[in-house]
Amino acid sequence: MSTHSAIIGFGLHLPQNRIRISEIAESRQEDGAAVRDSIGVEEKTVPDADEDAFTLAYEAGKQAIDVAGIKPTEISAVFVGSESHPYAVKPTSGMVADALNVDPFCHCADLEFACKAGTAAMQIVDSMIRAGQVRYGLAIGSDTAQARPGDALEYTAAAGAAAFVLGPEQSRAALCRIDRTISFTTDTADFWRAADSSYPSHGGRFTGEPGYFHHVRTATQGILEVAKISPAEIDHVIFHMPNGKFPSRIAKECGFTDAQLATGFIVPRIGNTYSACSLLGLAHVLQSAKKSERILLVSYGSGAGCDAFLLTMLRNGVNLPGVAELPRYLSYSEYRERLAARL
Amino acid sequence: MYNPPERMPQDIFLIGAGQTRFCEQWDMSLRDLIEASVTAAITDAKLSAIDIDMVIVANMIGDAVADQAHLGALAASLLPHRPPALRVEAACASGSVAVHTACSLLRSGDVGTVLVVGAEKMTDVPNEVVSRALMGASDAEKDAAAGLTFPGIFGLVAQRYQHDYDLTREQLSLVSAQHHQHAVTNPNAQFQKAIPAEMISESPLVADPLRLLDCSPISDGAAACILSVKHRSPFRIAASQLSTDTLSLADRPTLTSFSATKEAAQKAFREADITRDDISHIELHDCFSIAALISLEDLGFAEPGNGISFYEQPDPNLTINQSGGLKACGHPVAATGVKQLIDLRRELRASGEQFGLAHNFGGAGATCCVHLLEHAA
Amino acid sequence: MPPNTPAVLARAKKNRDRRSQAGTIVSYTTVRHPPAGFAPQPRRIAVIALADGTQTIGVVTGDEVIAIGQTVLPRLRLNRVSHDGLRGYDIAYEPVATVREPLQTPFPGYILALTGPSGVGKSSINLLLATVLSDQVAPVPIVTTREPKAHDGTEYRYVTTEEFQSLREQGQLATWADIPSQDERRLYGYVVSDIEAIWQSGKIPSVVTEMHLLQGLAQHYGRRSILSCGLLPPGRSRRKMLSTLLHRLRHRGRDTEQSIRDRVRNAEADLRFFADRADLFDHLIVNEHLDGAVEQVKGIVLELVKA
Repeated sequence: MSTHSAIIGFGLHLPQNRIRISEIAESRQEDGAAVRDSIGVEEKTVPDADEDAFTLAYEAGKQAIDVAGIKPTEISAVFVGSESHPYAVKPTSGMVADALNVDPFCHCADLEFACKAGTAAMQIVDSMIRAGQVRYGLAIGSDTAQARPGDALEYTAAAGAAAFVLGPEQSRAALCRIDRTISFTTDTADFWRAADSSYPSHGGRFTGEPGYFHHVRTATQGILEVAKISPAEIDHVIFHMPNGKFPSRIAKECGFTDAQLATGFIVPRIGNTYSACSLLGLAHVLQSAKKSERILLVSYGSGAGCDAFLLTMLRNGVNLPGVAELPRYLSYSEYRERLAARL
Repeated sequence: MYNPPERMPQDIFLIGAGQTRFCEQWDMSLRDLIEASVTAAITDAKLSAIDIDMVIVANMIGDAVADQAHLGALAASLLPHRPPALRVEAACASGSVAVHTACSLLRSGDVGTVLVVGAEKMTDVPNEVVSRALMGASDAEKDAAAGLTFPGIFGLVAQRYQHDYDLTREQLSLVSAQHHQHAVTNPNAQFQKAIPAEMISESPLVADPLRLLDCSPISDGAAACILSVKHRSPFRIAASQLSTDTLSLADRPTLTSFSATKEAAQKAFREADITRDDISHIELHDCFSIAALISLEDLGFAEPGNGISFYEQPDPNLTINQSGGLKACGHPVAATGVKQLIDLRRELRASGEQFGLAHNFGGAGATCCVHLLEHAA
Repeated sequence: MPPNTPAVLARAKKNRDRRSQAGTIVSYTTVRHPPAGFAPQPRRIAVIALADGTQTIGVVTGDEVIAIGQTVLPRLRLNRVSHDGLRGYDIAYEPVATVREPLQTPFPGYILALTGPSGVGKSSINLLLATVLSDQVAPVPIVTTREPKAHDGTEYRYVTTEEFQSLREQGQLATWADIPSQDERRLYGYVVSDIEAIWQSGKIPSVVTEMHLLQGLAQHYGRRSILSCGLLPPGRSRRKMLSTLLHRLRHRGRDTEQSIRDRVRNAEADLRFFADRADLFDHLIVNEHLDGAVEQVKGIVLELVKA
C-alpha cells in the first residue's frame, strides 16, 4: 500500500500521416489561413487504414513499459480509455494486455467517457496502486477519432495514444507523483454518438460554455481549493485541447499564463486526439519538466465531466526516443481515400 | 533426393490427345469440358472408350468455385464402363503431375492404358473468388494471410530479379509480346492477336512491377491425353520427373531461381539420357512473364540473369512456347500440364525433330514436373 | 487463406512475437487489388530478412519509396477483418527513414564502434587498443556538454551547450544524442572533421559509444562503414550479466549508489538493444578479461586491415 502512486514510465504513438487544416478548408472552398487561425490548429494526424485505437495503444504501451524499465509481466492492471474502441464488445484492454505480454493475472477493462476516458483509466490505476491491489498498472488513452466530412469536427478529429505505467511512489524509477485527483460530472448533452452511428453529433456553440468551460472551470477551481494551491504555484498546466483556442481562454480565466500552458499545448501540430489529448500534453511535459515542478492536468469529456490531477516531478524529465521518420502530408483526396479504406 | 528403384524397360507412348479451346466457355460446365476433351482424345487415338483401363483427372479449384470435388468418379462415369479413376491436385502443376502419376502406374504393370484429363472451370465466379482459390497454391498461413495474391508472389520475384540483374521494363515486355505473336497461328489459344511490347509496358499495374499483360489470364478449358504401354505410337514419353520445393517464398534462400525446376530438369535429362542440345521445342510455364525467364535459366538453357536473350534474339533451333504459352493460350490451371504435351506433339510432327521438353510448375515452383517427349520416326 | 475464425486467429497470434524483430527488405511488391477482407487499397508486401536470420512475409507501412536492403522495424497493425467483424492483427514493417543505396554513395571508410553497457569496460578496451594497435587505430574524441570529472581520460572534449548547438547547426556533427542522466541533460556527439582526419592519416577511427550514437553513425556513414563490436559482461543469463556489471561498477568506485543503479537500469536496456537490433552488430564480445577482449577486437581489426 502506498500513499501515492507515481508515473514511472510513459509513451506515446502518433500515426505518421498529417493533413493541414488549410487543406481541408480549401476542399470546402473556404479560406485555409482564416480557418486555421480561427481554430488555432495547423495540422492533425491521420491514421493509416490498418491503424486503430488498439494498435496505437499497443505501441504507446510498449514504449511506456520500455521507459519504465520494468518487465511487462510485472504489470497487473491495464485500463484503456477510448471513444473508438475497435469493438463494441471485446475489450481493447484485454488485447493490449495480451499483446504486451503483461501477466495474465491482470485487471483489465475498457473505459468510455468521450475525451476523458484516458484520464479515467489513470484514476483507476492510481487508486488500485494506493489500495495495494496492484503494484504496477498501465493506463492508456487512445483514439482514432472520426468526423463527418464537411462537419466542423473534421478540422480537429485526430488519432493518437498516450500510455502511462504507474507504480508506488517509492519506486526507484518514479518520475512524477500523482498528489491528488478529483472528478466533476454532470449529464450535459454537448456531444454524443448513437450506438449505431459512425459519426458523432454535437450542439454547436452549446459545446462551449455549458460544455467545456463550465466543467473545466469548476474542476480546476475545485482541485486548487482542496489542494490549497494557487495558480502561481503551478509550473505546467495542461487542459483538454478540443482546438487551439479553448485552452488558452480557460487558462487565462483561471489565472494561468501562456507560459504555464506552453509545454503541454500540443494540439496545433497534432489535432484533438480525444482520449489521448490531454495525456499527450502530459507526455510532452514529462519530457522536459524539472524535479520538484508541479503539474496541473484537467481533462474534459463530453457528456460531460472533468478529471483533474495535481502532480509533482520527482526527478527531471526523460526524453522519449525520437521518431525514426518524418511526418507524411496528405492531400484532401488522399485523406478521404485513407478513411474510406478503413475496415 | 528419392531414387526410384530400377524401372522395367516399358516404353510409354502418347497414343491420342485432344483439347477444347482455352477461353471463356460460357456454354460449357466443368463436366462438359472434361467430356469434350476426352471424346477428342479417344477419337484421335482411334481407340474404343473401353480400351481405357483408368482415368486420372487433374483439377485444382473445382471444390472452391463449384463445390465439386471427386472428379475421378465424375470423369469415369462419362465412359460406358466406368473404369477406376482418381484425381490429382498439385496447384498449377496438376496436369503434369497427373501425367507423371499415369506413367508410374503404367510402369507398375497394373494398368495398360490410362486416360489423363486436366480440366478447369474458372469463369463461373467473380475474379476475387478465383484469386482467393488460386492462393491455395501458396502457403495459406504465411503468404495468403498477409494479403498476397499470386501476381503479388511473382511481383516479389520480379522485383528482386530486376534488382539483381538490371532487367528493364522494355525487356520484360518482350516476353508476353513474343508469346502472343506465336499464338496468332494457334486456333486453340484464348488470344490469337499479336500484342506489341509497348502495350504490355503500359497496361495497368497488378502487383508492381508486374502489369496486367505480364499475367496469364483466367480461362476455361480441358486437355486430355491417352498414355499406353500396350499400344504404340511415334511419340514416347522419354522422361517424367517430379520435384518439390518449400511452399512459401519466405522459406527459400533465393527468390530468382526455383530449385524444383532445376532438379526435375536434371533428373529428366538423366532419365532420357540426352542433353539440352537435343531439345528442339520447349513448352514452359509462363504463368507470369518473369517466370518464363527464370524457367529458361533454371532449366539450364540460359545463365542466371540471361533468360531474356531468348526473347531478344530468338534461337532458330529452339522454339520456346510456340503455342503461345500460358499467356496467350490461357491457363485453365490443371489443363495446362496436359496441353503442353499436345503442343509438343504437334510441334515435333511439324518440324520432324526428335525431342521436346514440357515444363509445368505449381505455386511459386513448389511442385515442378518436367516431361521429355520423343518423336521417333 | 485460413478462415478468419477465432481458433485460427488464436494460433496466428503465437507467431507475432517471433515476427516482432527488425529486419531488411529482400524484395517487395504492391498488390493493387487485395483480396476481400483486407483494406481496399493498394497493399505493399515484402519478403523481410529478420534479425535472427529467418525470413517472413509482411506488409510494409506507409507509402514512401522503399528499396531492397532497407531496414524496417516491427509495428502492430490491423491485418484483416472477417465478414462478421472479427479483427486479425499482425506485425507489419515500418521502413526506417534514411536509406542509403550503397551503389550511390562512395564508401567513406571504416569506423570501429565499441558499444556496451556502462561498466563493461569499453573505455578500458578502447584505450588499450589505441596502444596495442597504435598504427591502425585512433580514438575519436566524444564532444560533450557535461562537466569534466576527475576520472575522465582524454576521450572527452568539453564544450558549452551553445558551442554544441552551434556545431549541430553547422552540420559538423556526424551524429549526436541527448543522454539524460540523474541531474542534467547531457549532449554527446562526434565531429565529422575528427573522424575524417583519422581516415586521412590512414588509420581507423574508433569510438566508444552507446545505442543512439551507434544508430546515428550507421545512418550517417552507412551500416557497412561501421565495424560494430558489442561488448557484453560475462554471464550466461541477462540477470547474471547485470549482476557482474553491478559489481564492476561498485568496484570502480567512481559512482554514487544511485548513479550505479541508474546505470544498471540503462544496462538492461542496452542488453535488450543487442537482441532487438542484432543487425547493428558484427561481433558480440564477452569481456571476461580485459586482455582477452582486447585480443579479440585486435584480431577483428587486423583481419579487416588485411582484406
